[in-house]
Amino acid sequence: MRCQTARKRVSDELDGALPSGRGVRLEAHLRTCRACRVYREDLERIQAGTGLAEAPDGFWTAFERELEARLSAEEAGRKRVEVPFAAGRRWAWAAGAALVLAGVSLWLALPRPGPAMIEEAWVAADDILDPIVRAVESDPELAGRIDRELQASIEEMSPVADPLFWESLSDDELRAVVTAMEKESGLGGPQ
Amino acid sequence: MDERPEASLVADARRGGREAFAELVRRHERRVCGIALRLAGNAADADDLAQEVFLTAWKAVGSFRSGSSFYTWLYRIAVNTSLSFLKRKGRERNRAPFDENRNAAVPGSDAAPGPEDRSALNELTARIDEAIAALPAHFRASFALVVDQGLSHADAARVLGCSENTVSWRMHKARKLLQARIKPFLEEARR
Repeated sequence: MRCQTARKRVSDELDGALPSGRGVRLEAHLRTCRACRVYREDLERIQAGTGLAEAPDGFWTAFERELEARLSAEEAGRKRVEVPFAAGRRWAWAAGAALVLAGVSLWLALPRPGPAMIEEAWVAADDILDPIVRAVESDPELAGRIDRELQASIEEMSPVADPLFWESLSDDELRAVVTAMEKESGLGGPQ
Repeated sequence: MDERPEASLVADARRGGREAFAELVRRHERRVCGIALRLAGNAADADDLAQEVFLTAWKAVGSFRSGSSFYTWLYRIAVNTSLSFLKRKGRERNRAPFDENRNAAVPGSDAAPGPEDRSALNELTARIDEAIAALPAHFRASFALVVDQGLSHADAARVLGCSENTVSWRMHKARKLLQARIKPFLEEARR
């Protein structure tokens, strides 16, 4: 056993924390190592010389009296702080609950678009568009002009106008376009 | 003197029983003061710390879990309060290194007698106390619990929130430091 290990075990032994098996080996080391024997004697002397002096007469009575006074002051202070705060907190909760209730009531009271309202809006849009469509149909020149403008806007957005259009399509989209073109041109086999 | 078992006193204190708490104080005040004294290094600070420990315990006793050991819980408060105090005062940073020519005060007594009046044993005790006071705080805490309070390594580990091995190692290191620091006095005592 090394002296370092033996000294650690001497310390454990003094604390009653050394298993008996290790104690035997420690004793065997101490029989042959004078330095470790001296070390153990020193530690025993330190242990014996360690101790806290007894407090003077009346110390504990005074200690308990002072603590009692501090506990009373602490409790009185806590009551002073807690009571108004607790009342304030109750008011705060009540005010918060009233606000939430008012918010919910307002939300329930507000008119929201139901199915009937959506239908009405749709009918209203039809009413606006209807005279325009009728005017265009009755005026061939106007109809022609609108057609040209529509054609121009389609061409503007067509793949020819954007060389990178085809690059942005996925394989599936390209296959769908090819299939549609073949169907349209009659080259896609039997329908 | 209240003869009730500790568990019953703790249960009463948890319900706000000041009498039960006062009895718990009476049962543990010496040990708590001992821990505080060993860590603070002087009687006046130790007294204040012990008061603080019991005040903290009173405020927190409601959260104490009845399954665990009351003294472990209380000693943990004592150690933590004392270590926080040391941090606050910056004593660990400014702790004077061991000076063997400096007279050490015996803990618990405010007026230390002059070296010429001391018996050899008192002189050694004073040197030991002085050397313990110069140990790092965590070593002192282990020393206070194991040597002064007679706790096992396992119980000290529970108080300190570390492993038994750590306590064992700290005790070994602390003793090694103490032995090295008071070697001349120990050699004197051997003659």
